[in-house]
Amino acid sequence: MTPKNFLVQHGRQLGTLCGLFGLVVIFWILTPHFLTVSNLLNIAQQTSINAIIAVGMTFVIITAGIDLSVGSIVAFSGVVMGSALQSGTPLLLAILLGLGVGLLCGLVNGVLISWGRLPPFISTLGMMSVARGAALLYTGGRPVSGFSSSFRWLSTGEVAHIPSPVVIMVVIYGIAHFVLRRTKLGRYTYAMGGNEEAAILSGVSVKVYKAGVYGLCGMFSGLAAIILTARLNSAQPIAGMMYELDAIAATVIGGTSLMGGEGTVLGTLIGALIMGVLRNGLNILGVSSFVQQIVIGSVIVVAVLADMALKRQRK
Amino acid sequence: MFNQGHMKMKTIVSVYLAVVLAGLSFIGCQRREEASAKSPTVALVVKTVNHPYFIDMQQGAEAAAKRLGIHLIVQGAEREVDVEKQMQIVENLIQKKVDAICLAPSGSRELVPVVVKANRANIPVIILDTRIDSAALREAGGKVGTFIGSDNFEGGKVAGTYILEKLKGNGNVAILEGIPGHETGDARRKGFHSVVDQAPGIKIVASQTANWERDQGFNVFQNMLQSHPDVQALFACNDLMALGAIEAVAAAGKTGKILVVGFDAVKDGRDAIRQGTMAASVAQHPDEMGKLGVENACRIICGEPVPDYVPVKIELITKQNVE
Repeated sequence: MTPKNFLVQHGRQLGTLCGLFGLVVIFWILTPHFLTVSNLLNIAQQTSINAIIAVGMTFVIITAGIDLSVGSIVAFSGVVMGSALQSGTPLLLAILLGLGVGLLCGLVNGVLISWGRLPPFISTLGMMSVARGAALLYTGGRPVSGFSSSFRWLSTGEVAHIPSPVVIMVVIYGIAHFVLRRTKLGRYTYAMGGNEEAAILSGVSVKVYKAGVYGLCGMFSGLAAIILTARLNSAQPIAGMMYELDAIAATVIGGTSLMGGEGTVLGTLIGALIMGVLRNGLNILGVSSFVQQIVIGSVIVVAVLADMALKRQRK
Repeated sequence: MFNQGHMKMKTIVSVYLAVVLAGLSFIGCQRREEASAKSPTVALVVKTVNHPYFIDMQQGAEAAAKRLGIHLIVQGAEREVDVEKQMQIVENLIQKKVDAICLAPSGSRELVPVVVKANRANIPVIILDTRIDSAALREAGGKVGTFIGSDNFEGGKVAGTYILEKLKGNGNVAILEGIPGHETGDARRKGFHSVVDQAPGIKIVASQTANWERDQGFNVFQNMLQSHPDVQALFACNDLMALGAIEAVAAAGKTGKILVVGFDAVKDGRDAIRQGTMAASVAQHPDEMGKLGVENACRIICGEPVPDYVPVKIELITKQNVE
């Protein structure tokens, strides 16, 4: 591939990456506490939960859908798994249970969208409330806390000095990138979002694959729930509120179009890192939380504006 | 082809510059502060920065910091229930190497891991408002400098005792709860129950959440009045819900006939008490907590001993003492 073609193909991601580096440089100039190894690992760890949810969100948004229920699924998967752990369920089984609950919630979304013909916004809005209510009902509103150190290793542990959530995040992104680029599921995901009619006419079982994509998104929320529960040493029925917005923001900052048909998980990872770097840097600088919200909102808008400008030029 | 790539580069560079410039202008003013921070830096991490209760706490802390010549940073999550965000903030402040952290924890067990992290970084942690679970803290091998606060459970008892007295031990009572699963509200409600459940003449006819919100307080209490028009008293677990509820009382033409008791005694709540639309509110003095937090942080930084527990008074604000 010539450098020119590379630039055309990856221009959007390079733009986002420049944004990330720009932020890093700004914070590096402004405070000596930002660009240290321990702080960079700290940022990576803080980003991991949002980044993992955003992988699923990226798949969903590429199909021109949306999933508003991810935060509630995080809570529901978390409490089901947490309660199982506390009643003595073996670690691996409890983890599978957490992933399974997420998968199941996601599949319900998918079935309602594919066969019930509900708009994704409505179906997942319903699930957002149902899963939250289920989490509260399941626990009687109380958090489930106190887990074994072997479970908590998933958040507190390290592999070669890298915090385990970061390792999990990197592995997940590797797999998701491969799936999206090299497998049938990946190609169909783009096809469904690019032109659903054409996908149906060319024989793609759109309904099945779409339901699968929502199931996958739910499962990633389940995985995020596992890490979050290990991190807080507590599974809270009120956990994950508004996580959907963070995940959507990371996805669109990363260049995935809400109209569907385009986007990459690597872009999403950069998007999630931009949000993590912003929050971390602004905290370290002691910027008021009110200003932080303005900055984060502005970055989302600027990123999407830049994206649209780029797309106009490509045409 | 080349031209297209060239144009794109131009866009990328211009967006990049715009972001850099915007970033610099947004935060540029912070640099001076950072550079001149020779005096000790104390961080106050509240549950959320947009609740009147924590704004009072912040103001108390700011006044004390100014008096003592301390550089104070105040941070908090956007939403009170977002424990993980609060955890991130504390982690980031540890990276900043502040000299002490005053923390009003959003979860009594959930914040234990970051307290331990601060301990490892030799940054003293002072807990305000909500206790850290002592068993969980011991198990994790962590320690806190001191706890400064009053007890939500006690506050609920104060409200219960007042309503019991006013109703002379007989009547129908409704409760507006906080967000389900949120400890602060649970403690207040349990404290309230611990008193009124002892009185055989008191009947709790309805107990529902209004999610801490003013507008929901209005709606939920309006619904309660539909199903239980004979309610004589309402305990709302915070003032915002109570303020919503008094509007519902007014809409039903029952102002003054239903005893509404709130919690926190925020400014609007005090105004309502002055006007007589609200009967009472439990005051926890968050400004005092903020002030004592900074003062004790200062003592710890200077190596002076501090007590394990610094109590902050709880009082019931009624028309008699609202001024």
